[in-house]
Amino acid sequence: MSSGNAITAAIANVLELDTNGRDVEKSSSSAIPLMPIGEAADMGRSPDGTPLFDPRVFDSYEFARNPYPYYKILRDHYPVYHDTLHNCYWVTRYDDITTCYFDDEGFNTIPKGSSSGVLGNTQLELSGIEHKRRRNLYGQHLVGQALKNRLPSIERLAREMIDAWEAADEDWYVKNEDGTRTVELGKAFANEFPIRVVCEVLGFPQEARGQFYYWYNSMMSGLGGSDTHRQGLEARQDLEDYLEPIVRERRKQPTFLYGDDGKSIGKDIISKLCEEKIDGDYLSTEEITSNVALIVGGGGETTRGAIMNMWYLLLQHPEQFAQVMADEALWDNAFHETLRHSTPIGGQPRHNTYDVELHGVTIPAGSLVQMVDFSANHDDRIFENPEDFDIHRADLYSGKILRSGFRKEGRCSHMAFGVGPHLCPGAWISHQEAVLGSMVLAKHFKNPRINVERMKKDIDGKSLVPIGLISVRDLWIDFEVV
Amino acid sequence: MSLDKEKQSAAPPDQSFWQGRLTVGNNGVAAAPRHVKNAEGYRSYEIYQRQRVRQSTEKLKPSDLISDEYRSDPYPILATLRENYPCYRDWLGNAYWVTRYDDVTSIFTDDANFETRSKLWTYGLLGFGRDLRFELPVLAAQAQRMDAGAEAIARRIVSDVASSGTADLALDVAARFAIELLGHQLNLPADDLGAFANLYWRAQRGATWEPKAQADGKQAVQALADLVRPLLEARRSDPGEDVISAIATLDLEGGPATAEDVATTVLEADHETLHGALANMWFLLLTHPDQLARVADETRLLKYAYYETLRHSPPILSAKRFARHEVERFGQLLPEGALLICSAAAANRDPGIFEDPDAFRIDRKDVCQREPRGQYRADGLASGIAFGLGPPSKFPALPEERPRSLYALTRDTAVTASRVLLEELQDLKPADGAAPALQSLRVGDMHTCWHLPVVFGKR
Repeated sequence: MSSGNAITAAIANVLELDTNGRDVEKSSSSAIPLMPIGEAADMGRSPDGTPLFDPRVFDSYEFARNPYPYYKILRDHYPVYHDTLHNCYWVTRYDDITTCYFDDEGFNTIPKGSSSGVLGNTQLELSGIEHKRRRNLYGQHLVGQALKNRLPSIERLAREMIDAWEAADEDWYVKNEDGTRTVELGKAFANEFPIRVVCEVLGFPQEARGQFYYWYNSMMSGLGGSDTHRQGLEARQDLEDYLEPIVRERRKQPTFLYGDDGKSIGKDIISKLCEEKIDGDYLSTEEITSNVALIVGGGGETTRGAIMNMWYLLLQHPEQFAQVMADEALWDNAFHETLRHSTPIGGQPRHNTYDVELHGVTIPAGSLVQMVDFSANHDDRIFENPEDFDIHRADLYSGKILRSGFRKEGRCSHMAFGVGPHLCPGAWISHQEAVLGSMVLAKHFKNPRINVERMKKDIDGKSLVPIGLISVRDLWIDFEVV
Repeated sequence: MSLDKEKQSAAPPDQSFWQGRLTVGNNGVAAAPRHVKNAEGYRSYEIYQRQRVRQSTEKLKPSDLISDEYRSDPYPILATLRENYPCYRDWLGNAYWVTRYDDVTSIFTDDANFETRSKLWTYGLLGFGRDLRFELPVLAAQAQRMDAGAEAIARRIVSDVASSGTADLALDVAARFAIELLGHQLNLPADDLGAFANLYWRAQRGATWEPKAQADGKQAVQALADLVRPLLEARRSDPGEDVISAIATLDLEGGPATAEDVATTVLEADHETLHGALANMWFLLLTHPDQLARVADETRLLKYAYYETLRHSPPILSAKRFARHEVERFGQLLPEGALLICSAAAANRDPGIFEDPDAFRIDRKDVCQREPRGQYRADGLASGIAFGLGPPSKFPALPEERPRSLYALTRDTAVTASRVLLEELQDLKPADGAAPALQSLRVGDMHTCWHLPVVFGKR
């Protein structure tokens, strides 16, 4: 009967069934093809011509290496994108993100367990007054005069590490026959330098560094949803066990940091935390551990990424690198432009406290809203030619980092540290770490260039892999000894 | 350190032993003797609750839940969840997976705390039309049309395939039967059925995360409304006994029903479950010839085969629920709006509920032989979960006053179609070289057998 055939044919047609009824859909991994950098894969168009956006993109390798054309589609066509595969909303325009960051009440950070017990309860997960009370617990020790006092020791730590290269017998430092040297900047410097700074400001004995580095790695790779979560939890417990007697001691007898001239420059952060009161009561050991874990977690990976990305980008733009070498003041510009162009931390989750309508999309209360700093930094409504790396950018604010952000005279601050109440408390110190550390490195390098053979390649097998969403992991540099 | 171990030690532990220690009982509650309540490091129950999202994920990668493996055989992955992570925080999909039988049913019956969201919501088309599925005249017309039409439609379809000698039970029988029965309920002209099938499936498939299907589905929903519009208008003045007539003559608060309301009503119901259940049932019977022999011998057993199919291989693997407000369940604090994926497939294979749950046995003694109606343990036996309970029934509990449930109607029509199949055809066997299998075409879609080629002799 013809109607029966018509029905069967219609169903088979809609379901795109093949003869054995299997594997019609491509697997998620192959659904998004790898594209040339700067071009988005074709994800189809709706009848009115708007490009469609396939949420599988977020899980693909293509996206990790080449995210910006996809963010452009979102910014231009879906400023608030409801992703029903990942059950969240993506907010991608600079203006929207800054607005939401300032609205601490409407977009809260109340614990949804993003750090899943690894970092513990920290101000990352507090909002409003609770957050305000704790915000300056340690933040105040990382800015202003307190920070200035620490600069000499930051510089000293960098010098110590670099001076040890020549004597080190490690696979990350190669002495070539022609007298040049090849170094892997990550293992030789950037991975550990921020941790050493953290150990220093926390007032940990230098012997604990190796252990610290392990805890830090475990906790970072063990955040929620990862395969190594258990390791992260164990590291957190270890850190707590290690800290407990130290905290007990320092509650009775605070310890001090000393400058290079042997004079005291104030108490270390743990001793300070031991004195802090919240709601009239001292912090518990558990709270102190959480804060320490947050400092360790926040102070390491991000600064490492900033240093690595900055050198990677500068060495790929030799004329700009030459200008920086000629004028040390330009390191600040290079730092800020790096964080705009390729920030190590790409965004912050928020939960809306009540129903919100944004760009015609209603976000029901309690939804997960992803604020994409990556995208804000590449918003062509704010930054001209956002894909270009240009340390002389006229539309980027490179001055002192402000909690209020900066938006005047055609210049805007980048979003790498966020803005508003949850602005990264380590913004200032990480700036100093990256710039001071790089200055020391620059003095040590003569004629540095990327050793292309040893670097990871992109899909064409020739060009260097783009940074995309993932900070540079290994960076091999050839240089001549000064 | 378990509580039991503490109890075994004879002498009470001294202060220093307890210093800073926290004991967690088997029930997951932090416990400590009174004298350490104020000790350093002690965490209150509330703090502990907030922190104990501490699931490790080493036995399972979040991406397993959207893998090709899950699409073809989700059961091993679900077993890992059920045994290790009863309320699994899926960071990739931003959801909580609930997999134990008692947990799943507790969510389904908890309408105060958890809500369902409509397909129109998924489409972002809220307000497009009204869902009139639960209006009494609609339910009555539906029941009447399904009961009256099922046998004739089944006979027609089976006689069509009988003439050819081979058939694809999944597509030629199950899929076609479901659509023809739906067309009969709506009393669509026979010529429209092909177009209707196309629109209907596009509309159903579009209610998902996939953007191409969604854009296509939106068009299909609109086209579906356009297709029924002339029928609706004609039947307002000249109503018949079908569902469209019942909708046309409804006396509604917001004015008479529109074509959009009809399209919405058709979209929101899961008519394709009949297709899935029928295809899965025949897939299981054909791959378990001993069981097939029993039902062929005694067709009254078909009903039990149907129940066992829905327990063993439900076509709809899971149902979504959203937390209406922040609520604590299964030792976790679920935030407002949290998505819970209640896995019927996992619950149905819960070894604590069903004996030897992976076996397909139509003579099971531990499964309830009727539809869950507001509860899952009528007669003291656990029901297989194939349909999540929808919103609570607004009809009286007295059997004589309430309409027949759609679950029962679906069961009866599936049994009818299967009985006709057994009556008309004999020696049903999978075709040579066919390797039928269950599969979801996309993540989150119906898990069913899409091709089931068979050979048979005609009676």
